[in-house]
Amino acid sequence: MNIKVVAGLIVIVAGIVLSAVNFIDSNVEYGDFADAQRIGKRIQVKGEWVRDQESFFDAGKAQFIFYMKDDAGVVRKVVLEGAKPNNFELATSVVAKGKIDGEAFHASEVLTKCPSKYEGDSASVQKTL
Amino acid sequence: MIGGILVKAGFAAALASSVLYYLVVRTPHARHLHLARLAYHGSVLFLVAASGVLLNLILTHQFQFTYVWSYSSTDLPLSLLISTFYAGQEGSFMLWALYTSLIGVFLMSYTARKGYEAEVMSVYGLIVTFLMLMLVVKNPFAYIWDTFPGDLLQTGPIPPGVTNAVVLDAAKSLWARFPAEGKGLNPLLQNYWMVIHPQVLFMGFSAMAVPYAMAIGGLWKRDYHSWINVATPWAVFGAMVLGTGIILGGYWAYETLGWGGFWAWDPVENSSLVPWLICVATIHTSLTQRKSGAFVRTNFALSILAFLAVIYSTFLTRSGILGETSVHSFVDPGMWVYWLLLSWMAIFSAVGFGMLFVRMREMPKVPVEHSMLSRDFALFLGAAALTLMSLFVLVGTSAPIITTLAKGKASAVDIMYYVRTNLPLGIAITFLAGLGQLLWWRSSRMSSLVRRLAWPVAAAAVITALVLLLGWEEPLMLLFVFTSAFSLTANMLVGLEIYKGNPKFAGGALAHIGIAVMCIGFVTSERYDQKATLSLEKNKPVPALGYTLTYTGHRMIDAEKYGFVVEVERDGRKREVAPVMYVSEFTQSIMRHPDLVNYLTRDLYVAPMSLEEPTKGPLEQTLELERGTLKTVGGLSVTFRTFDMKGANRDAMMEGKPFEIKMLLDVTEGRKSTSLALRMTSAGGSVEFPVTSYTDKDGATYEFRIGRLRSEQDDMAVPKVEVVARTPADRSAPGKEETLVIEASVKPFINLVWVGTVTLIIGFLLTIIRRVQESHVKDESEV
Repeated sequence: MNIKVVAGLIVIVAGIVLSAVNFIDSNVEYGDFADAQRIGKRIQVKGEWVRDQESFFDAGKAQFIFYMKDDAGVVRKVVLEGAKPNNFELATSVVAKGKIDGEAFHASEVLTKCPSKYEGDSASVQKTL
Repeated sequence: MIGGILVKAGFAAALASSVLYYLVVRTPHARHLHLARLAYHGSVLFLVAASGVLLNLILTHQFQFTYVWSYSSTDLPLSLLISTFYAGQEGSFMLWALYTSLIGVFLMSYTARKGYEAEVMSVYGLIVTFLMLMLVVKNPFAYIWDTFPGDLLQTGPIPPGVTNAVVLDAAKSLWARFPAEGKGLNPLLQNYWMVIHPQVLFMGFSAMAVPYAMAIGGLWKRDYHSWINVATPWAVFGAMVLGTGIILGGYWAYETLGWGGFWAWDPVENSSLVPWLICVATIHTSLTQRKSGAFVRTNFALSILAFLAVIYSTFLTRSGILGETSVHSFVDPGMWVYWLLLSWMAIFSAVGFGMLFVRMREMPKVPVEHSMLSRDFALFLGAAALTLMSLFVLVGTSAPIITTLAKGKASAVDIMYYVRTNLPLGIAITFLAGLGQLLWWRSSRMSSLVRRLAWPVAAAAVITALVLLLGWEEPLMLLFVFTSAFSLTANMLVGLEIYKGNPKFAGGALAHIGIAVMCIGFVTSERYDQKATLSLEKNKPVPALGYTLTYTGHRMIDAEKYGFVVEVERDGRKREVAPVMYVSEFTQSIMRHPDLVNYLTRDLYVAPMSLEEPTKGPLEQTLELERGTLKTVGGLSVTFRTFDMKGANRDAMMEGKPFEIKMLLDVTEGRKSTSLALRMTSAGGSVEFPVTSYTDKDGATYEFRIGRLRSEQDDMAVPKVEVVARTPADRSAPGKEETLVIEASVKPFINLVWVGTVTLIIGFLLTIIRRVQESHVKDESEV
């Protein structure tokens, strides 16, 4: 076989293997707080904002702190590096990306999921009549 | 109503045109050809008319149409009102269809001159047909009472005073109400980028259909070589327009949406990058085919893939399949769109790759130039790297689908995946973009290459050293800076030589220069940025990142929006930023927009985070008091002792006569104890809670009043009272004025990204002009 073909094949196989490893490595799994505790690496936790516990923006540290109840019902303090996310009050559920550090879940990103379009629309049609 | 009919007529005409062109391919027939052209033009007219109808409905605020109601309102300025045309799924499909069918008009006369009309237009007509079918399914002309029958449909007589109503069926006395005002446009979309970015992006999407149709045309005609000349100007056009659209989107994200950078590897961004990368790879392999005849199959395959990538990207971002794994909440458009997009992909892959497979054997086999020191080989490697890059981006963006199939649970990849996979490829691509220009076709001699390499490499080393002055970075990133700089200098050298010969031929070199400058800008602005979170107390200068920032207060922008003005000073020069923060009625939540100061060598980017209330001055707090428990307020402790009901006899209360309830509060300061009476008075149905003051030994005044009596509803045995206490300003702890919390960042040399973009676009333009002229010359020589 041509040496160039062999070299090319090696490069391609190495590329695919590397990217597969990379893919698996950088995949941020979904889980709950128990999984986060167990795995210890970055994870996405879906849950609900616990409205009757404290939530505030710590201006000194630039962190937004709130309590979140995951799908298993576990409530944990979440420390988000950043300001209160857009649509936070409106969200039916939130997804926090981060990992457990000490008592709190330290999130680098919190996504908010808003009520499905058509549920909200029926009400807004009434409003604009 | 008329709009829906026009769309259906357009669909039928496009389908007829495609079929008629097909018949012409089978047996040339002047009358059929004439009819096919007529049908195509008819479909374009129908679609233009339908678009006109929709635009008119929007401009005249016809809120009885769901689409108009969903995205527009009467208070939008004209430019934004027009842009609501494509603010939703239905309208953006319509815009896509409109551009595709309009491009087809030019394509028809172009291909007619090249002898490609029937084949290309048959395929292209099929693409238009599918886009129109999407409009038939996702009809932008749906009436609002069909969307919300439960809320709007009524029977019986129309009550007087109801103006926004329409009788649907007089016999059944069925009628419907419709809104007088629209829901309005999402405030995130309310800026000039919304006017320009989607237009350019969709035109780019539309342009990607042309190389596909031409590839199928080439396969059909068994013309495996000259189709490349016909297709190249269109591929370059597509790459230019789509590339411009992508960058505009990036600038939108940076400047208005506040993503912090212009590229966030978001599915929406990625999915338009993939077809662009494939298209750029195709341009390079086509170049080789023109010179040496190699890459026959590759060029067919890539041209087909670029269009499939457009459909796949639409599928990813429109079908709702990415669901919860992205920042964007993708609206689920319903099963119809999902399956229609899937069947598009299946049909156009089957047509494309089926044809390719059938013709594969008879294609000429021309091996790629064997010499490693040839431009051919560098182009091959470069195109391979670009294709690989598009594949990696595609795989990363599809992660939620892949993980669902593999594990049953969707999850996305982290941004670092894209950086790690694309960085080595980026290094290879930029290196090859420089090296390829220094090599000759067929083969080069090592000694001459080394001579030609000397200057560009030396200059690239200098540029890299300059970047190093900003600070250290990881070696691979520095290597990327070096290869980008090498691509820049090599292309400048070669570009200059070409320019002296024929300025029109410098397009390629110019495009490479643009990309190289952009790449250097990416690294300096994204990797060497400095960030600081700052609390800016009003009128107090804060030094940070080499600037002095002073928050001076807010100003109103419109009824809802506020700009928070920050003065930025550096070396005596004053500038101003006013990032925006407001509570939007539309989204019912806080919205933020960054602002920036653009200096020649950097941007100062200010993203607002929050506004803290002043803590100076009197402080008001609410105390919940139970009988006998002690609470502290400032320097006092207070205890709720008892109620005094003497002024409120039961009969007076029942009869609604004036009465008064007193609440006795023991206030203790040091050893001194006083009893205060807080009052609640009721007279003529209005209840009042007058303020009772207390002056402490330093002469400061406390104010107390009853906030709420809880004992009425709750358990009488444990009466609770809410007392509002206003304490005097605390003199021991210094209070704070209103404070703006921001994240400020300095992005060095971000202007390189914009300069590079403009250079790239000019390079593309020059290339289009050159290739179009060349294809004309070929026409004449064939005649």
